[in-house]
Amino acid sequence: MATKHVLAVLGAALVASAAVFAASAASKTTKKAADDPNNANLTYWYWAESDAPGANNWLKKEVAQYEKAHPKVKISIVTQSTDTLTSAFTTAAQTKSGPDIATQWATLPTLTPAWKGATVPISDYVPKSEWQNWISTAENTWQGKLWAMPQYLIGIPFVWNKQLFKKAGLDPNKGPKTWAEFLADAKKLKAKGITPFGMGNKDGYGGAWFFSLIGKQNLDSIDELKKAMIGEANFADPKFSGFYQALADLKKKGYLNSDVASISFEQGFQLFGQKKVAMSWGTDGNVSAWEKQLGAKNMGVAAIPQWGHGKLATSYDVTQSSDAFITKWSSHPRAAAQFLTFLHTPQALKAWYAATGVFPADRRFPASQVKDPIAKQLLKLDQSPVSVWPENFVPPQVDQNADLAGGEEITSGSASPSAVVKLWQSELSKWKSQHPDEYGAYKKWVSGH
Amino acid sequence: MAFAFGFPLVQVLRDSFYAGDFTTSPIWVGFDNYKGVVSDPEFRTSLFNNLKLMLSVPIMLGLGLAIALVLNDRIRGMRHYRAIIFLPYVLPATAIGIAFSFLLQEKGVLNTALRDAHLGALAQDWLGSSHLAIASVGALVIWQQLGFGVVVFTAALLALPPETAEAARIDGASWWQLQLRVLVPQIRPIIELLTVIQVITVLSWVFNYVYVLTTGGPGYASSVMELYIWRSFSNGSNGTAAAVAVMLFGMASVLIALSLWIRRQAFAA
Repeated sequence: MATKHVLAVLGAALVASAAVFAASAASKTTKKAADDPNNANLTYWYWAESDAPGANNWLKKEVAQYEKAHPKVKISIVTQSTDTLTSAFTTAAQTKSGPDIATQWATLPTLTPAWKGATVPISDYVPKSEWQNWISTAENTWQGKLWAMPQYLIGIPFVWNKQLFKKAGLDPNKGPKTWAEFLADAKKLKAKGITPFGMGNKDGYGGAWFFSLIGKQNLDSIDELKKAMIGEANFADPKFSGFYQALADLKKKGYLNSDVASISFEQGFQLFGQKKVAMSWGTDGNVSAWEKQLGAKNMGVAAIPQWGHGKLATSYDVTQSSDAFITKWSSHPRAAAQFLTFLHTPQALKAWYAATGVFPADRRFPASQVKDPIAKQLLKLDQSPVSVWPENFVPPQVDQNADLAGGEEITSGSASPSAVVKLWQSELSKWKSQHPDEYGAYKKWVSGH
Repeated sequence: MAFAFGFPLVQVLRDSFYAGDFTTSPIWVGFDNYKGVVSDPEFRTSLFNNLKLMLSVPIMLGLGLAIALVLNDRIRGMRHYRAIIFLPYVLPATAIGIAFSFLLQEKGVLNTALRDAHLGALAQDWLGSSHLAIASVGALVIWQQLGFGVVVFTAALLALPPETAEAARIDGASWWQLQLRVLVPQIRPIIELLTVIQVITVLSWVFNYVYVLTTGGPGYASSVMELYIWRSFSNGSNGTAAAVAVMLFGMASVLIALSLWIRRQAFAA
């Protein structure tokens, strides 16, 4: 009997506390704070360090300056990790709670939450006179509105170590321009006991870069890839998936570092700076860091060697990479927009470049700030007329489950290119059935609506 | 009780029959999520990996029991040995996973040590090989969980009345006879209980190890059901995640029911 009483009391307490909790949550949502741009507590989920080493410190300093100038604004930065960047925000969007400002990779990772109503267009809060100075806005434009703010431009150049080239009897001042030259150089380097090309792919991002940098080269336009995503073109066509054979060949011939499958993408970047590999690729920020380690005269920088024969084979790979957007549930969208605009002020842009060596995505950034010879070369590459980053056009679920996983399978030697193509097809089919809403929105987007 | 335990279960069961955007307009899909999961090779790989990890249970229990029996002989420094063996169990799985992810890399500490000791032939790509990745996870699970088994078995052995063992010794029982015919049978219920706990652990508590050590890779080579659930949920495929959660719950329930049935049979006998 006593047990029954105890259980009854416990049950009543549980129900009562649940009711109190629910009531307090409800009152919190109904009492939405006034959106005063100069009086707000903002939470910013931030990611950029991997693209641009030094970014976290830069933001910390900018926040301190901003808070000093706006004493009633408090900004909490929550740095995000690369492997959970998309999934963490997907979860936040499902529960409609989380940051006021979030970072995401451009295009689909940014537009998908927008399609689902989890974000607000930044162009509703920032005047056009301001955002028309931002570069690469086309990557995040939908229905005539801009959904996110670009902060920086990331070009992906190819790099080689001149000393190691010389050691292998290669011309240190001539990097490979075509895939055939790349393979010939790799052969000579390997013969001298030098690891030709270095990257990390434990987390799949090395393979995803291979897809974006090499895989796109047989396409004439990114619209072809979009069609393959919705089944209007066949991904099994070598035009889309032939690059996997090139990656498998590199692995088979021993042209990749032997630990490619067991080190992370970011660990892979360190190999070039440590002189452990002769060739690699990286972001403008990585190149800047390598230049400090190796010295400008010891490294060469150029566009990625040409592998394919499509019109995109000669395009350069530059994107805003990640961007910042305002969430739908934020009580302070104006305050968030005002802070993001502050990050494009001349002092912030100058400080960004000084901290990271990465070019800001803003037309007002004076090229005269760029004095370093390698940086000048990178800026010239970043200003190439055609630029595209195909991974941005792959639905995030397919990107994670097929693009990343497929590359891992190739670099670990555990699957053939044809098996990876089947994985892509299976994941595309899963995406359609599991997210009919997202698939429908994507189709509309492809058709220009 | 119904609110705390029943509600989440009912909610997960309900979600397993829907697809699409759960925050606005989920779409009723009947058993499609279950059908999709069963026909998904990634799910089958994940399930098979959970089964492979179950092989670690007898190793874990056998080793744990053997160490506990040796320590039960009141060997010198027994407490210290027990503390050392138990230490990994109290360390966070995440920290251990990170440490081992560096240790087990192709050019990591373990392989470097093997190469330095002229045992380079034994050096493997422990995390980057699709054949070895799940075995590496299993080894880590054994390494961490071993201490728990040792402590539980030691406690059970210490709680046994000393008279039985003493009588066996007087009757001339050898060390092996004493352990295997006198002591071990007396702690059989504990062994059974720990078996069930460890089976449930490797079935539904290995996410931390897998996520930190291999992220389920290369590809899906070391994926497990929990990771499949997490991946589905993080992709916004809540219905699929819920369907697998229901299946995992069902499997764990069957195992628990089976263990209860075995115990009841043993008591009846």
